[in-house]
Amino acid sequence: MAKIILENIAHTYEPNASNPIFALKEMSLSWADGGRYALLGPSGCGKTTMLNIMSGLVNPSHGKVFFDEREVTSMITEERNIAQVFQFPVIYGTMTVFENLAFPLKCRQFPEDQIERKVKEVAEILNLQDYLNNRAKGLTADQKQLISLGRGLVREDVAAILMDEPLTVIDPDLKFRLRRKLKEINDKYKTTLIYVTHDQNEAMTFADNIIVMDQGEVVQAGSPKDLFERPQTTFVGYFIGSPAMNLYECSASSKNEISIGSNSFKVQANINNYNSENLKLGIRSEYITVENEHTDNSLEADVIEVEDFGNYKLVTASFDSFRIKAKVKRELDIPSEKVILKLPAEHCCIYEDNKLI
Amino acid sequence: MPKLYTFLKYFFVVIWACFVIAPFLWAISTSFKDFNSVTGGATYIPWLQFEPTLDGWSVLFKPGSQGGINIIGPYFNSIFVTLTASLISIVLGTLAAYALSRYTFKAGIVKNNDITFFFISQRIMPPVVLSIPFFIFLSSLGLLDSLAGLILVYIVLLMPIAVWIMVDFFNRVPREIDETALIDGCNPFQAFFKVVLPNSVPGMLVAGLFCIIFGWIDFFFAFILTFTKVQLLPVKIVALNSSITPWWSLSAAALVSVAPLIIVAFIVERYLSKGNLSGALK
Repeated sequence: MAKIILENIAHTYEPNASNPIFALKEMSLSWADGGRYALLGPSGCGKTTMLNIMSGLVNPSHGKVFFDEREVTSMITEERNIAQVFQFPVIYGTMTVFENLAFPLKCRQFPEDQIERKVKEVAEILNLQDYLNNRAKGLTADQKQLISLGRGLVREDVAAILMDEPLTVIDPDLKFRLRRKLKEINDKYKTTLIYVTHDQNEAMTFADNIIVMDQGEVVQAGSPKDLFERPQTTFVGYFIGSPAMNLYECSASSKNEISIGSNSFKVQANINNYNSENLKLGIRSEYITVENEHTDNSLEADVIEVEDFGNYKLVTASFDSFRIKAKVKRELDIPSEKVILKLPAEHCCIYEDNKLI
Repeated sequence: MPKLYTFLKYFFVVIWACFVIAPFLWAISTSFKDFNSVTGGATYIPWLQFEPTLDGWSVLFKPGSQGGINIIGPYFNSIFVTLTASLISIVLGTLAAYALSRYTFKAGIVKNNDITFFFISQRIMPPVVLSIPFFIFLSSLGLLDSLAGLILVYIVLLMPIAVWIMVDFFNRVPREIDETALIDGCNPFQAFFKVVLPNSVPGMLVAGLFCIIFGWIDFFFAFILTFTKVQLLPVKIVALNSSITPWWSLSAAALVSVAPLIIVAFIVERYLSKGNLSGALK
């Protein structure tokens, strides 16, 4: 187990091109030993490249990788002692389940009795103990993925387990149990887990720390709460949360007052550059409240639609030419035409050039 | 509708089976005929329409001094040359194909696909174009009219088939399998031999089947590159022909020569029907 440090890492798949496209733009990141991380971002944002750089399947074109104090940038994969689970199950079809699970230990020449003990222990965790003597080929997709996962878990000394959307092929109920199991394993063995996903719910429920990536850059790293309450960029605001954050182009009238169309709102941000033409206000639909009469920071909107989701109601309304979505308690009666919505100042995020002020 | 479909399916299968079996039945019955039964109009049923004889078959095994051609020597030559050349082609071809599938090669404008195409292009040329270079090449090595020379030439002819089939096969084997093996602690060689190769047996069987077929049926190079010391089966069979075509012994020879391919096809077919080879063939 080790702390993993990426120092000024950048990667392009075409290092000789005159104007190379970077799959990963220069960044420095460190992953604490024993941490539980989620790497979140849309497809093609560089998540898998980052994992492959850590496992050594890809050599970064720039920068260095350290495990604790040891530099491993040019070290080959098998010497890094890392486990990686891919999106689709990878099994050794000609071997039995036992041989599959034992393979990483056999390659590293562990003694037979230790292999046997460890394989049985992991098989028990993953509910595979009844299949140990079956050919891996004949199992179902989710059992195969459990084997892939198991091969990562048999080695206690791995620097980290990297998982690239590992639960895609697994049905929702088992997915939930497996995520819990992964958490337990992390608690028990203190193995660093890095979990790549494009599903925000998966990331939010699994990880202590979430790293959001977009177009080869880390746009925000923090706890689920940080990401939800203070998205550092409009991308994070839009990407995290369902529905996405309400975002409006606005202009500043003073240091902490902005206007959207004909409405003006107090905010807690300090806007220094009032003249900026690229200011946006963002607010989560969860923080918008329905009021009976006008107060500070309220606006009147025309109700378009009220959807009842069982545990909450989602109100979609329009003001000026903007749309606004508010998540409210389902007991609340929503007027059918006009509604007064309040945007609390403490929850209004102001973005200049799409970055939080 | 399903009934009609079933009927049509069986109808065409039966017709196709007749097409395939008819020449064999014809060859089997002819091989037991003598001169008069062959030239005196069509006959089909032994003992009723013609008197079966073993003359056609015995010619194949009698020595030349007794008017036979003795195919036993050439038969084993053919088996030896075909199997050796196929085996070497599969081993070299599999290694080459794995490298072409997994690693990136670049020399100027030449890239992996061009190298693969170069291998396949060896089969595009008409064999006659290669005959003179091969002849000069073998004669300079002193390998004309020898088994070793034939094996060398057949490797050149068969390896493109092996490379072609195996590149396609490896391209279908997910790269993640190799990567997982590396992560699990193998070096690239171990990853190939311990993990990729055991999964590639189906592809190698198909490639082997094609190599054996193409090696076994070659007449052209066996004819040009051998004279008296070494002879392969196809050349020997053609030598049967004379001013009066001996249909009976030609038929017997054809049956004897096609037998090993049928046996090989039956062995490989068992793997085919298990679905193991679907990836290798589709």
